[in-house]
Amino acid sequence: MQRTEKVLQLRGLQGRSVRIVREHYLRPDVPCRSALCQAACPRDGKLLSDDVTHYVVPDWKIVQDYLEILEFSELKGIIFMQTACQAVQHQRGRRQYNKLRNLVKDARHDCILFANEFQQYCYLPRERGESMEKWQTRSIYNAAVWYYNHCLGQLPVVMVTEDEDAIREYGGETEGVFVISFKNYLDNFWPDLKAVHELCDSILQSRRERECESQENNGKEYPEHLPMEVLEAGIKSGRYIQGVLNVNKHRAQMEAFVRLQGASGKETDLQSDILIHGTKARNRAIHGDVVAVELLLQHEWKGRTASLCENDTEEKAPGDTSSEPMPTGRVVGIIQKNWRDYVVTFPSKEESQSQGKNAQKILVTPWDYRIPKIRISTQQAEALQDCRVIVRIDSWESTSVYPNGHFVRVLGRIGDLEGETAVILVENSISVAPFSEAQMCEMPSSTSENPWKVNPEEELKRIDLRNTHLVFSIDPEGCEDVDDALSIRTLANGNLELGVHIADVTHFVAVNSYTDIEARARATTYYLADRRYDMLPSILSADLCSLLSRVERYAVSVMWELDKNSYEILRVWYNRTIIQSSYKLVYEVAQGLLDGDLSVVDDILELKELDERTRQQKLEELVWAIGKLTDIARRVRAKRDRCGALELEGVEIRVQLDDKKNIHDLIPKQPLEVHETVAECMILANHWVAKMIWENFPHHTLLRQHPPPRQEFFSELRECASAKGFSIDTRSNKALADSLSKADDPLDPTVNKLLRSMATQAMSNALYFSTGSCPEEEFHHYGLALDKYTHFTSPIRRYADIVVHRLLMAATLKDTKVDVTVNLFSNKDLEELCRHINNRNRVRWMTVMSSDVFEQHLVQWALILIGSLWVLQ
Amino acid sequence: MAGLELLSDEGYRVDGRRAGELRKVRARMGVFAQADGSAYIEQGNTKALAVVYGPHEMRGSRSKALHDRALVNCQYSMATFSTGERKRRPHGDRKSSEMTLHLKQTFEAAILTQLYPRSQIDIYVQILQADGGNYCACVNAATLATIDAGIPMRDYVCASSAGFIEDTPLADLNYVEEAAGGPQVALALLPKSDQIALLEMNSRLHEDHLEQVMEAASKACKDVYAVLDQVVRDHVHEVTTLLGE
Repeated sequence: MQRTEKVLQLRGLQGRSVRIVREHYLRPDVPCRSALCQAACPRDGKLLSDDVTHYVVPDWKIVQDYLEILEFSELKGIIFMQTACQAVQHQRGRRQYNKLRNLVKDARHDCILFANEFQQYCYLPRERGESMEKWQTRSIYNAAVWYYNHCLGQLPVVMVTEDEDAIREYGGETEGVFVISFKNYLDNFWPDLKAVHELCDSILQSRRERECESQENNGKEYPEHLPMEVLEAGIKSGRYIQGVLNVNKHRAQMEAFVRLQGASGKETDLQSDILIHGTKARNRAIHGDVVAVELLLQHEWKGRTASLCENDTEEKAPGDTSSEPMPTGRVVGIIQKNWRDYVVTFPSKEESQSQGKNAQKILVTPWDYRIPKIRISTQQAEALQDCRVIVRIDSWESTSVYPNGHFVRVLGRIGDLEGETAVILVENSISVAPFSEAQMCEMPSSTSENPWKVNPEEELKRIDLRNTHLVFSIDPEGCEDVDDALSIRTLANGNLELGVHIADVTHFVAVNSYTDIEARARATTYYLADRRYDMLPSILSADLCSLLSRVERYAVSVMWELDKNSYEILRVWYNRTIIQSSYKLVYEVAQGLLDGDLSVVDDILELKELDERTRQQKLEELVWAIGKLTDIARRVRAKRDRCGALELEGVEIRVQLDDKKNIHDLIPKQPLEVHETVAECMILANHWVAKMIWENFPHHTLLRQHPPPRQEFFSELRECASAKGFSIDTRSNKALADSLSKADDPLDPTVNKLLRSMATQAMSNALYFSTGSCPEEEFHHYGLALDKYTHFTSPIRRYADIVVHRLLMAATLKDTKVDVTVNLFSNKDLEELCRHINNRNRVRWMTVMSSDVFEQHLVQWALILIGSLWVLQ
Repeated sequence: MAGLELLSDEGYRVDGRRAGELRKVRARMGVFAQADGSAYIEQGNTKALAVVYGPHEMRGSRSKALHDRALVNCQYSMATFSTGERKRRPHGDRKSSEMTLHLKQTFEAAILTQLYPRSQIDIYVQILQADGGNYCACVNAATLATIDAGIPMRDYVCASSAGFIEDTPLADLNYVEEAAGGPQVALALLPKSDQIALLEMNSRLHEDHLEQVMEAASKACKDVYAVLDQVVRDHVHEVTTLLGE
């Protein structure tokens, strides 16, 4: 290794310029990560494929400005130089840099990062007086030349840059290394990729506009944002407050609230959120941004508007309809921008003409009305008149009333089913690309001629429950992804054995396989009214992992031995098993059997072909099992109730589809006792699994917590209840549960339902978390009144369950001296994963919320309300 | 510099080292003739000078003398030009006094003090340039100086730091990595017997990771040992050839 020094001039703490000398070590053994490499570079990790025609090295400027284009997976063989990446990190901030990092990590994109600055022969020290930009370009070119020579000139290397001087200077210097402009590159090498060209044009145009504007720069619309250092210092000293900006849906122009974040909320004794009144005070922050807020003086505080009024009637006489004043502030800086893709519509023709002088610039209206109008420039305005279009925001100068953006792609026509569905997906950042070939290759095959079979080797490792246990599943009608099944039987000593069998998804989805990475990104299956977007390929979700009746399936089972009389749990074991489900029951049928109503028997397919005697016998067995299960579930439930479990009310709506998959009707779901039985068994399994994995891996286990709700949210509930003459005690979950059940008006059962529903609204959301990052007292699940809880029972639909499955399997193998922890996430990774899954879940929850509005608007594509139960589970 | 990436996805640290690699160590013994022993060491950009006097009879107050062993007297100081911004006071501030105590503890454990009852050994160390791992550089320099002075020791004392960033233990932290505020362990080791002369840790580190970090630190100490040993052998070789002439 060779040692050199870098001298930097940096600004010190007091704003003085400090000379800093940093060491810089160079090494010959930086892996080139090319599959073509003939030298002895280590070949682990991601390699650049050898079936491309050339390698392309984007310049630092290209990486900064055109990263979106480089994200197209059609562009192959991209080498990101470390110099370019660092430039991105310095000038574009963490968010853009993370995007780049994820791109490099993603196995589906053919691109790599080459650490050229640590390579002995690639590194060029910056010369005296040389500008940073010049040096970066020179370094990247030099690295490109080295790379070309390293691969023995097998493939040409193309460096793309915007710098005219560089093209002139380096263009013909080395044979086989071309230096061309980005536009030129796209035209010559990828003439067929239309989407790429369009995107490139729109980025170019918006940049040109921006430049023009900054030149003609006149009257400022907004105050400038403060620099980051000032904000950080201000937040520390308590002068500014950090929080997330939430725009009021109903008065998007005027009102926004800042929800306090983290420590800053505790220090200042502010109880409520901070009101941001008007767009001036909001100072270019967009819904979801993390902002720094300065509080206004107390006499300037305003109250929130109580009455509903039209969005656009601005500037009413202030304070005429408002309630009592609340803390009001103004945004002084944006700490993290949370811009994403926005769905917009173009204004109608007359309007766009009235916008006047510059026909190329058009104000488009976002679908989400919490987002301000966005100004984009495009020539296709007329053609896109009645389309829904995706737009990205580029910048928002202080001189401009509206943010500038550029056009990305068309989703579909307004009113068109597919288009509108796409709108919902984009607005919620749900990716629904079909599974790629690489992912499908990992899947086992199963066709009707050649069905998938149990592997004899695997058979030896698992416990065989096929002939000994009566296993059955209970699900809603039409359910394809059956991930849980139940069993119960009497043991020789008279005790009962209850079993919960969950599809063994982790057997098919190896850690860090393509499928696994994709599932992690999706985190959950999205159910829409007429379709669903699976987390796993359908071969798994609807076939191999679905515990259908009369087929052999791998499962992970939790079995309890219960005392025959008291149903106390005596013993529990967890294992991988092979099961064969005997019945796939529908809730209604199971309820029928439970009630002794034998008319439903005809609906059970599995019993149809049998003769009368065996049929009778089998039926008796099944009825006994369901009855026993319900009995046990009641006991378990009663036990939880004593600890203060809440029973909350939410209207669950089911969408009935007709034969053509059009939406036929919306019907509220009828609560049946079997629902509760199944749910209780699942909660029991989840609880025991949570205990098991936490005991084995106390520092990196994924659990689910449900924090106690904030007391102020209950005020509405208390008021309503007192109006009806009931008092609601909200001090603990037990007290709440008790007082809710007391608040029952015998004449009007809806009162109780309504109160329960309000209590549900007050609940905070349950969250996944990693046990290493949270003190043990906070593990508690408020709604279920359990000390530890996790999600284990739906690995087909939720990624968290997959993680828990892996943890459980590692826990059961712990004694066998195999190093089980290799496949598990460390606490830090798990924390990040939890945050991701929680976010995805919140998104799903949002779509559910917006679906209420949808129905009122008679829009058909409502997402099914997967239930306010989501909050609880 | 909040956003600096201390360990990249490719496994490089800010200065281009990998997680377990040390900075370049250069050292010289016998830099001053007046002192009984002296040494100069560079670990990357951290530069330290150590001078040893003794063993000699007690100076100053005689009451401090120990009847069964020698007194080890240390002083740590930092040159005013050693940091990015000029320091006001080279020694005597809280941080330096603490460092002095640490050095004293370390060398009381390593020097065979019972051979020199009622006498005193002085070790003066000065940091000329600070770039992380000051304590470690001081210990290593002082070890060489003590050897140069011919004072019998149980073993070399080798010191190195280790940190824990992005779930990876890093050996021999430089200033940037130290300033990030992550957990840091400073370890002084007697490498032959694997005995620990001093162990210090800053900030919070999860118990589960301690073992890994300790392993990284002791590996780094052994690497330092190899370098120091070579320096001593070279020095001895040089001196003997000079004497032989």
